[in-house]
Amino acid sequence: MAAVSFEYGLALAAILFILGLVGLLTRRSLVFMLLCVEIMLNAAGFAFIVAGARWGGADGQVMFIFLLTMAAAEVAVGLALILVLSGRVPGAVPDEAAAGGEPAPVDMRSLLDTDYQKDAQAGRTRP
Amino acid sequence: MSASGYLGLLPLAILAGSAILVLFGLAFARQRYETAFALSMAGLVAALASLFFAWTGAPQRFTALLVLDHFAYLSMALSIGATIVVEFMSFAYFRARREENGEFYFLLQLACLGCAVLASSSSFASFFLGLELLSTPLFTLIGYRREREAGLRSAFMYLILAGVSSAFLLFGMALVYLETGSLDITTAARAASGSASFTVLAGLALMTVGIGFKLAVAPFHVWTPDIYDAAPAPATAFIATASKGAMAILLVRFFAPAGIAGAGPFAWIFAAIAGISMFTGNILALREGNLKRLLAYSSIAHLGYILVAFVASGNQGSAAVSFYLVAYFVSNLAAFAAVAGLSTNEAEADSIEHYRGLAKGHPWAAAALTASLLSLAGLPLTAGFMGKFVIFEAGAGAFLWVLVVILAVNSTISIFYYLRVVSALYRPASEAGTGSMSPRPAMPALAAIALAAMAIAIIVIGAMPGSLMAFIREVARDIASNAAAAL
Repeated sequence: MAAVSFEYGLALAAILFILGLVGLLTRRSLVFMLLCVEIMLNAAGFAFIVAGARWGGADGQVMFIFLLTMAAAEVAVGLALILVLSGRVPGAVPDEAAAGGEPAPVDMRSLLDTDYQKDAQAGRTRP
Repeated sequence: MSASGYLGLLPLAILAGSAILVLFGLAFARQRYETAFALSMAGLVAALASLFFAWTGAPQRFTALLVLDHFAYLSMALSIGATIVVEFMSFAYFRARREENGEFYFLLQLACLGCAVLASSSSFASFFLGLELLSTPLFTLIGYRREREAGLRSAFMYLILAGVSSAFLLFGMALVYLETGSLDITTAARAASGSASFTVLAGLALMTVGIGFKLAVAPFHVWTPDIYDAAPAPATAFIATASKGAMAILLVRFFAPAGIAGAGPFAWIFAAIAGISMFTGNILALREGNLKRLLAYSSIAHLGYILVAFVASGNQGSAAVSFYLVAYFVSNLAAFAAVAGLSTNEAEADSIEHYRGLAKGHPWAAAALTASLLSLAGLPLTAGFMGKFVIFEAGAGAFLWVLVVILAVNSTISIFYYLRVVSALYRPASEAGTGSMSPRPAMPALAAIALAAMAIAIIVIGAMPGSLMAFIREVARDIASNAAAAL
């Protein structure tokens, strides 16, 4: 029945998972970090579907639906936090007009590092 | 399903139903804050009371998702009790901005429901649902005081880390499911205890990462101090107790029946985690000047102690984990009740300097805080001492001499920093301008009640542990027999 062996699906899920993890570690923008977490979660969801297909049961798909719902809830809270933070943290989001119309992404460094904020306020840049 | 079957589900149903009632109260009532508090408290007390009715029907399985045995009810009682205490300490804490703070109780109650589901889950699906029901409200609870930037930052950090750890956990579950074809927790654990394949071992390792993050054991502990510090004191109290307790209970339920904890590669992994956690937590706490951060480091060490009992496994190990959790809950809740009660809307009472001279203005609060710190340090006549004693017993019973010695060394290290705080309480207040608030505000009544109740519990459990210990041993015997019956 199975035209594609489950190992391929699992490999794809693992690659997605690692891509998400690497993205999370290298990206500094809050929105992208949220996206990378989503990619990791969806990789796990995909692994569940692959596993469900192997056993011919609905369990894997049920888990995927749960996972999708949970990811949506998490993103809702995450985006709300980003919205509040972008108005609050000085230097986290440069002026929209000054950045050339395109709103700059919120920078994680500016959240975790208070010195960075002072630098950003003073207009200094750091490597 | 018989009537008694549904009776067993009553605690969960009441928690969920009253959470919705709280939401309605928030929408329609005039005094939103007080209404939310009253409705949520009523729901929690009703859920706690319903445990007595549900108790007789146990053990039973509710579909494939939940196993409602005495152990589950005991941990539900613990998390509901902890939530009640947290609500007591938060009433005055959040009152200053009561227009916008009513939702705190709704979120807290949802998180409590998550703990209850987590503690009684018997399948990966309910495990995951319970965990997320617990985590998602926590993101908001950590950043609840929107005017505080540090809280918002930490909330986002926690959200990202919790998301990553969930992803690890889920990927691990998927791997285990791929190999065993079952989402059932005990089946999965059994599959791993035999000659496990690489896939199952990798899956369990990934799950350990996710669980380790939630328990905040080393090396997954890095988030703890920042989040403890930035979150409002009642939310911190909840994270420190109910959230970690439910996860520890789940760990016991997952691993204990199959005996994974006691043998094989995972025994080594958990033993290593326990040892590293004890040292990391205690050594980092030594030089900490902020009480909330100090409690964060101490909680890392305490979860390490709990893991010693977990590795000891067997009935004695499970009983030791449960008993230590009770002691850990009451001691931590007392400490955080003091922090929450002494905080004002302007300033969080978190620096140790702030507590200098507390004994003069608030002799009873200082005495209760002393009891809680001594209990955390594990000095005799407190709940913490009995907890450590039980863990020693379990560890020695399983011949884990290295871990037991590490535990003894670490208990000694920990006495230093707890006593540092205690000595600050009884020293004269520092001169003006060193950060201590003067005049110190009076302790709010509800927080004082919570503090007093927890302090009394510390002494009572410490002085007369016999009946509680016998009760917990009886309950812990359930896990093994249920797991055997489930198959």
